Amino acid sequence: MTALGKSVKYVFIGKITLRNQLAYVADFLVRSLFLLLILYIFLQLWRTTFQGEGTELIAGYSFKQIMWYLVVTEAMTLACPSLCTRIEEEVKSGDVAFKLVRPISFIAFHYVEYMSEAAIRFAVNAVLGGALGLLVIGPPAFGAGLLWLPVAAFGGFTVNFTVNMTLALSAFWVEETRGLEFVYHKFLFTIGGMLMPLELFPEALQRIGHWLPLQAIVYIPAKTAVAFDWTRLPAMLATQAFWIAVFGLIAVFVYRKGVKRLNVNGG
Amino acid sequence: MASIVVQQLGKSFRTKKKREGFAGSLKALVRPDYEDKTAVGSISFKVEQGETLAFLGPNGAGKSTTIKMLTGILHPTAGYAEVLGCCPWKERTKLSYGIGSVFGQKSQLWYHLPPIDTFELMSRIYELRRGDYLQRRDQLIERFELGPYLHTAVRKLSLGERMRCEIAAALLHRPQVLFLDEPTIGLDVVVKQRIRELIRELNREEGTTIFLTSHDAGDIERLCERAIVINYGRIVFDDRVELMKRRFLTHKTIRLVLEEEPERVELAGVSVLEQSGVRLALSVDTELTTIEAALSRIMARHRIVDVTVEDPPMESIITHMYGYSGKEELAT
Amino acid sequence: MLTADKGRLASISEYGRPGQLRRLLLFVWQCWKLNLAGAMEFRLSFLLTAGMMVINNVVWIVFWGLYFRRFPVLNGWELRDVMMLWAVAAGGFGVMATLFGNAPRIANLVATGQLDVYLSQPKPVLLHVLISRMSVSAIGDVLFALMIYAAFGDKSVAGIVKFALAMALSTLIFIFFTVISGCLAFWLGNTEGLSFQLFNALLTFTTYPTGIFRGLGKLVLFTVIPAGFISYLPIGLLRQVDVPFLLGAVAVTVLLCLGGVRLFYSGLRRYASGNMISLRR
Repeated sequence: MTALGKSVKYVFIGKITLRNQLAYVADFLVRSLFLLLILYIFLQLWRTTFQGEGTELIAGYSFKQIMWYLVVTEAMTLACPSLCTRIEEEVKSGDVAFKLVRPISFIAFHYVEYMSEAAIRFAVNAVLGGALGLLVIGPPAFGAGLLWLPVAAFGGFTVNFTVNMTLALSAFWVEETRGLEFVYHKFLFTIGGMLMPLELFPEALQRIGHWLPLQAIVYIPAKTAVAFDWTRLPAMLATQAFWIAVFGLIAVFVYRKGVKRLNVNGG
Repeated sequence: MASIVVQQLGKSFRTKKKREGFAGSLKALVRPDYEDKTAVGSISFKVEQGETLAFLGPNGAGKSTTIKMLTGILHPTAGYAEVLGCCPWKERTKLSYGIGSVFGQKSQLWYHLPPIDTFELMSRIYELRRGDYLQRRDQLIERFELGPYLHTAVRKLSLGERMRCEIAAALLHRPQVLFLDEPTIGLDVVVKQRIRELIRELNREEGTTIFLTSHDAGDIERLCERAIVINYGRIVFDDRVELMKRRFLTHKTIRLVLEEEPERVELAGVSVLEQSGVRLALSVDTELTTIEAALSRIMARHRIVDVTVEDPPMESIITHMYGYSGKEELAT
Repeated sequence: MLTADKGRLASISEYGRPGQLRRLLLFVWQCWKLNLAGAMEFRLSFLLTAGMMVINNVVWIVFWGLYFRRFPVLNGWELRDVMMLWAVAAGGFGVMATLFGNAPRIANLVATGQLDVYLSQPKPVLLHVLISRMSVSAIGDVLFALMIYAAFGDKSVAGIVKFALAMALSTLIFIFFTVISGCLAFWLGNTEGLSFQLFNALLTFTTYPTGIFRGLGKLVLFTVIPAGFISYLPIGLLRQVDVPFLLGAVAVTVLLCLGGVRLFYSGLRRYASGNMISLRR
């Protein structure tokens, strides 16, 4: 191939990549608009709630804290790429077999991809949500929480990845995994503390919530940001680490089983 | 009796002019620049009941726009048309009972359901009398040989099977005019042939007027008596298909087998199409020279083993014709 | 007249004879039957997606259940009102997406020139377009609405009549607001994203009590994005009939219906621009 031919090829590839990125930009904007809409609605909801209660604090949270808490949880939730869609496609199309050949761990590969995408989206959402927050709610009193938020968010995204991966890998056995993912998300919304802090739940549910991995995903990062507490930080990060280890191992185990099955059945 | 009458029909689209670069895009957002594009200039023609007409032209010539105006899908910007006594864009509903249309690229069959279900829906859409519908349906099923896959979901049918169902569905209500937009696109030769036969038969037996657009020279040669060619939105030819050949036949092909390999052939009005060993194919421009002159010049230099003189295929006549713009006087 | 007599038209069709309405209804019925049959081709995924929607809605009800456990009253709204809100909103959306499922796709259909088939056939174009698709998952929304009403609604005759009226208003507002937002594509080119955002905003706003909005937000809800006329129904109609509100809701619904139909048909004259594809250089 001539040098000219080669460069033409790369220009072409570059063009396609760029267009893909642009498609993402549109997707970004749509998600961001939705983020602002949802935050606006929750703003109204909690303003009314605090007025109805007539107190400064609800379950230890001020109005400002609850709002910033929701900015964090919504920004995180809307930043998560759908892993099931991707994995299911790869398993069904047999792409997974190609990836097996490459000298790279399947799970590590997807982890990197997932985290970089989540990071970009979270940054965009945080800027938008933050701007809305500063304008409407007023500056937060994050303090040291702001410094630890990236760490806790990193842990939260990682936990979400491991759980999601475990669900997604069931595509080796079942036809439809998006249904599972959907239900999982719904649990994340409620008992995971996305819609309101766990402290507002009835006693019994709170106790269950603290035994589930769901709290490690958005509740811990958001709580770390808005109500930072040195004494509780180690325990929180340890909880995240624990669940990462548990679901990381499960994901690896499920993946090995699945690949073995693939080899036996020949795809 | 005329089925279709078209008088100075025209359609222009107003499109936003795209400006260069990002700043241009922004500017266009605030104050867009419009540009009028003429899709169909000003065309007039008449089609008699029972005629088979091929409506030809290169991509973007205005074929589809015309067919869509005649079926009431698009509103024209100038002129007038009447199909079966109705003005298509004013009496669209009324007209639709009398015409059938098949758009090769846009299916009217329900993708996940067997064709029989779509037929049933068609009977409701066209408000067919139950008895008449069943009789008509069975007749079409038999003629189009749809029996074997009548109960198979459309997505599982081959393109040829699907197209046969597509045409049958458009015929359920016994239309008097059938519009076909690229009905044989993507089909193999045998299936194409069968579909042409079916349309031909329909025209003969029921006197259905056929109005067809196609890129396929075979469709035109085997199916149509008359052809209208449009280019750049104007009619450049409107006459019988055989005449099309005669009028545009300015070239003939001479195939020769010579005794020895010829040296370079250089004759006025003659160009070499292909040459391999002793075989030679020449194209003779009959406006510049004659076949006789060309042959005698070659015979003077070479000994000929075999010779045939051919008309170029329909395909290249059409290509040749598309080369002309609407402004040049080609027709009449 | 330039061509032959019009009497030749409609040879084996009953077109123009009495019983027009009955035949129109038969056509609509047949379309719905085909839609359902198409959905049944993939029975398992049908059940799964419909079930998923029920779960989705139940989770929201659970959220509100938890909320109201902690704060019993929200600016005059109680848990039961919010449940009725979800019944009316999910039900209205569900009926639209099930029986008139093409409404959210109008912008796309217009921009990509997919109205040709409907335009070449004799039935009312807007109706034909709307009923030609069925969102399977939305059946779950309808079921959910009925379940919630059966469990928590007022099951007296008056209550059921009021609920039916609320559902009808909600469905019509959903359909025609969505149609209007889709019709933008006739004038503005491909507005799929914008139209979807408008529709999504309506859908999202309808699932929160009007009681939490004030000022500008409330104004928007009763004008640009008329979600308020759906989300106030549990208070203004189901709990106790608030005559001015109800009259307003009916008027807005009628306005949306007439406006939507008019906009669609005047858009059809410009439908040409949806065919720009053929002119692209």
